[in-house]
Amino acid sequence: MESIISVNKLIKQYEKARTPAVKGVSFDVNEGDFFAFLGPNGAGKTTTISILTTTLSKTSGQVSIAGFDVEKEAKHVRENVGIIFQQPSLDPQLSAEENIRFHACLYGMFSYRPSFRMMPAAYRSRVMELAEIVGIQDALFKPIKKLSGGMQRKLEIIRSLIHTPKILFLDEPTQGLDAISRRSLWDYINNIRKQNGTTVFLTTHYIDEAEHVDKVCIINHGQIAISGSPEEMKQSLLKQELILDAPDRGRLIRELSGMGLFHRIDGHIIVPYQGMTAQNIIACLQTQLTVLKIQEPSLEDAYVEYLLRTGGDAA
Amino acid sequence: MSELVLGQFRKKSRLTRELNAIITIMARDITLFFKSPGTIIMSLAMPVVMMGMLGGSLAQNMAGGLGFNFGQFMLVGMIVNMLFMTTTMGVTSLVEDRTTDFTQEMMISPISRYSIVIGKIFGSSFGAIVGMAGTLVVGLFMGYTLSAGQLLALLALSPLMCLSAGALAMIVIGLIKSNRMANLAVMLITMPQMFLSGAIIPINNSSGILFVISRILPMTYCLDLARAVVYAGTPEYDSVVLFNPAITLTVIAAITVVCLVTGTFFFARSEKNR
Repeated sequence: MESIISVNKLIKQYEKARTPAVKGVSFDVNEGDFFAFLGPNGAGKTTTISILTTTLSKTSGQVSIAGFDVEKEAKHVRENVGIIFQQPSLDPQLSAEENIRFHACLYGMFSYRPSFRMMPAAYRSRVMELAEIVGIQDALFKPIKKLSGGMQRKLEIIRSLIHTPKILFLDEPTQGLDAISRRSLWDYINNIRKQNGTTVFLTTHYIDEAEHVDKVCIINHGQIAISGSPEEMKQSLLKQELILDAPDRGRLIRELSGMGLFHRIDGHIIVPYQGMTAQNIIACLQTQLTVLKIQEPSLEDAYVEYLLRTGGDAA
Repeated sequence: MSELVLGQFRKKSRLTRELNAIITIMARDITLFFKSPGTIIMSLAMPVVMMGMLGGSLAQNMAGGLGFNFGQFMLVGMIVNMLFMTTTMGVTSLVEDRTTDFTQEMMISPISRYSIVIGKIFGSSFGAIVGMAGTLVVGLFMGYTLSAGQLLALLALSPLMCLSAGALAMIVIGLIKSNRMANLAVMLITMPQMFLSGAIIPINNSSGILFVISRILPMTYCLDLARAVVYAGTPEYDSVVLFNPAITLTVIAAITVVCLVTGTFFFARSEKNR
């Protein structure tokens, strides 16, 4: 599959900073992929996303988005991306609809008209359709300052999608949202991905949101620390665990030791394993079991394990 | 609605996209103007203070022996000063946009940085036109008027004057990061121009450093062009107008282009390097 985002030896040194914020980062994202860029605070996530979206200049390295160079062909890059910034970038004095209209007209989707009613029918129906999907139709004509944080976030999503970008950059999109708003937001973004094949580039501190992505990259101290699919990451960083118990615990423990497996007692017998399947282990056991559970580690477990191992700050 | 249908509405030509973007940015500022009662009140109060109080006091106490009607001279000066001052104040609201991160929304859009700056300047000039109308009304109460022809000529020149004022302000805006500094910058840009470019005090006899400053301020040339239009064919023309209007127009265009290019560069750089 073709790369839609290509980053090669990217370096960013801020003015007056002693060391670069991003130190020679390289990675690729395939078209249509859901890509998660994770890392602790200050790791270089927002700096990287800002360079990728042309809002920050790089110090050196090559970055191409949708086949266009971020420095030399910035305008083409901007046409192909939609962004939800970490900090809301709405005009608090305009209404929700006025913010969307401003964006749609800046992107050349429609000619500017001074009121919603005067805008083309295609614009009006698109806005109403999107507002209904994310549930802000009643707040569409209210000033931004009267909307809750969750509603403002949803509005930013509508705004970022109105020009149908190929790549959607989400910089901590669910920060400050309640659980229901988070879920409805992800349902909507997943629908968009399915319908349009939109590539999604996500940074988040909620690691569970990245559980089902195609590829994860962990950045730490300005460098790519590890990358791969969530499954690969879990396998390389964590052992899976079997939770077992039996009326004759002594026999079970002897059998496990005979197979070269270590164990610990934490209520039940916990058996970490790597390089073999749970099926292999259970098939070798003769002891009658009363408890049998396979503990699958989450991406968050793998992420925290990695940070603890490398001495990075947990997010 | 399918994306294909929406795609049909996307502007095809680059020029129409840039023009549409300028209109959109301008329309935002006009919308904000009407949503801000404080700005409307300020736009109407400024002419009373500048033309009514400052101008009135100067006309009553210091206008003797000039060889021309000081009231008429000052009316044109105050109109141009109002265009410059209000446009400069409007353009400095970009600093506020930066603090609320709204400039990011403009900077990530696929339009020229010049369109952003020009749209902002023309949007700010709406308040300036309101201020200009207020100055004319106050002048009317003071007994100073312009003919319909003179008024139309000034209106026709006002976009160029606002562009010139805004372009100069952009150079300073590109170097400023806080609202507090922006307020100081407005004073720094507008005050020297008001006193040294001939808005209220004739500069025919300026010399030394004040002469040099007066000749590099864009408002000097905008004022001279405005007075050349208003005083055309009158006996006072030679006492009031300093330069040939064709040269004045060329100088204004040159200063505006230089300031616009430099200001846009500073603004774009400050956004990308923050």
